[in-house]
Amino acid sequence: MRGFRVLELRQDYDEANYTRQDEERELSFEEIKSDQVLPNGARFYNDHAHPEYCTPECRSFSDIVLQDRAGERIVEACAQKLSERRGAKVRVYKNNTDFWGHSYGCHENYLLPRSLAWATLAEGMEAFLVTRQIYAGAGKFGIEVEDAFEAPGFQIAQRSDFFSELQSVDTMQRRPIINTRDEPHANARLYRRFHVIIGDANMSPFATRLKVGATALVLEALVLDPKRLHPRLEDPLAALPAISQDTSYKWEVALVGKKQSTALEIQRHYLACVKAVCDLGSPERQALVADWETALNDLEQDYRKCRDRLDWVAKLMLVWEFQAAENVPEDDPWLRSLDLAYHLVDEAEGLHAGLEHAGVMKDVPDEKAVQAAISLPPKDTRAWIRGRCVGKFADAVISAQWDHVTLRGSEGRLRISLLDLFAPEDVLRYAQCIERAVTPDDLQAIAET
Amino acid sequence: MPDQTQKQRPAPPSPGGGGGEGPREPQVEKPNTEELLKRMRKVDPDQARRYRQRTGQ
Repeated sequence: MRGFRVLELRQDYDEANYTRQDEERELSFEEIKSDQVLPNGARFYNDHAHPEYCTPECRSFSDIVLQDRAGERIVEACAQKLSERRGAKVRVYKNNTDFWGHSYGCHENYLLPRSLAWATLAEGMEAFLVTRQIYAGAGKFGIEVEDAFEAPGFQIAQRSDFFSELQSVDTMQRRPIINTRDEPHANARLYRRFHVIIGDANMSPFATRLKVGATALVLEALVLDPKRLHPRLEDPLAALPAISQDTSYKWEVALVGKKQSTALEIQRHYLACVKAVCDLGSPERQALVADWETALNDLEQDYRKCRDRLDWVAKLMLVWEFQAAENVPEDDPWLRSLDLAYHLVDEAEGLHAGLEHAGVMKDVPDEKAVQAAISLPPKDTRAWIRGRCVGKFADAVISAQWDHVTLRGSEGRLRISLLDLFAPEDVLRYAQCIERAVTPDDLQAIAET
Repeated sequence: MPDQTQKQRPAPPSPGGGGGEGPREPQVEKPNTEELLKRMRKVDPDQARRYRQRTGQ
């Protein structure tokens, strides 16, 4: 038993401790318990006293980038409204730490066939997840431990100080490298969910695409070739912060059997595996693999080449230049404030936004497409059905979840199941029905009987 | 303030190259970040001291 079934999570005790604080907060019940499904199919809610935005389901790498950026715009619009209402500036940081040892994640969820054995999945992904931080890390000016700041210093990832287990179901305490939460929000006989809690919140769209794209392709390779062997780290939990805090940027690690390797070599193994196993015929996949390979090459030659793509490099170089210009010492807390400012979603103040405006970051998504993604879901996933029901018939929506939507019809409830809605032709058929519908009653054809 | 024991220090700022094992000659084009440096000067140095979040998922 790996914790797939538990009576309650450890977070429940923490939540109980916060009840008294919450009772004294100047927030309405609706604000504290806010949980919304948006017209773009996303979920936006209050999670442990911070806003959490979950993108709608995406099938392409470009859509996940657009939807992620649309989420930034939505959250910032809410912050601006709250600023106006309160008469005080409200700032939102898309990051993973408060520099006092309190971390919060940027989770990824991948839908996988149930037929993939858990051991194959967990063992195959461990070294990949520990080492992908060399391109997916968001960078952090500080070393932390749980519930405490420990020391100044730069490391390449925000979350790597906060993992102490190899596998478990927990997400808030004693976090695991491999999280076992398996709520597929789909037909559980056919699908499993791979819940990744070890990633940073990226500001760079390039880094978001590379992080999610490379992970998706490695998972696909595991499904297609489950018997292929992958590197096994001697001590994954020690390797995670060691890689993150290695200021030589050589990222040396020990493999099982005391063999020495590097994070770069391990990533090259997975890249080669993807090339050998996956169908890379589409331009999007070809571009992803090419960008992955180029990033690894550049990191090996001179990591500073990646300042136009990778968050940790962009942040490090920018802050270094500021340090040099202003004579800021290495242990000055100002560096942590600048680190925070890199993650501001406010385009007028955010440092990453400033880099984009200066034209120095690669693959910035077209803003018109981002604006469209604020109100429209990806067209090729079940998110279109959920989002368009909310967009067209919000007043009639009784319940909107990942796996179903229930609406109020003139003769009773209409429940549309999304549980098995993954085949493109089925998504299209449902979508056409919704686009034709004038009232919820017109959805009878796709509702459960 | 928490204990600020020096543990892992970053390589020193080296816009024109550095010593030791740090990077030397920049191999990449340095962007014009003058405007951005102005934005950075407006960042409250104490912002991180005040910032608090609860542990999340």
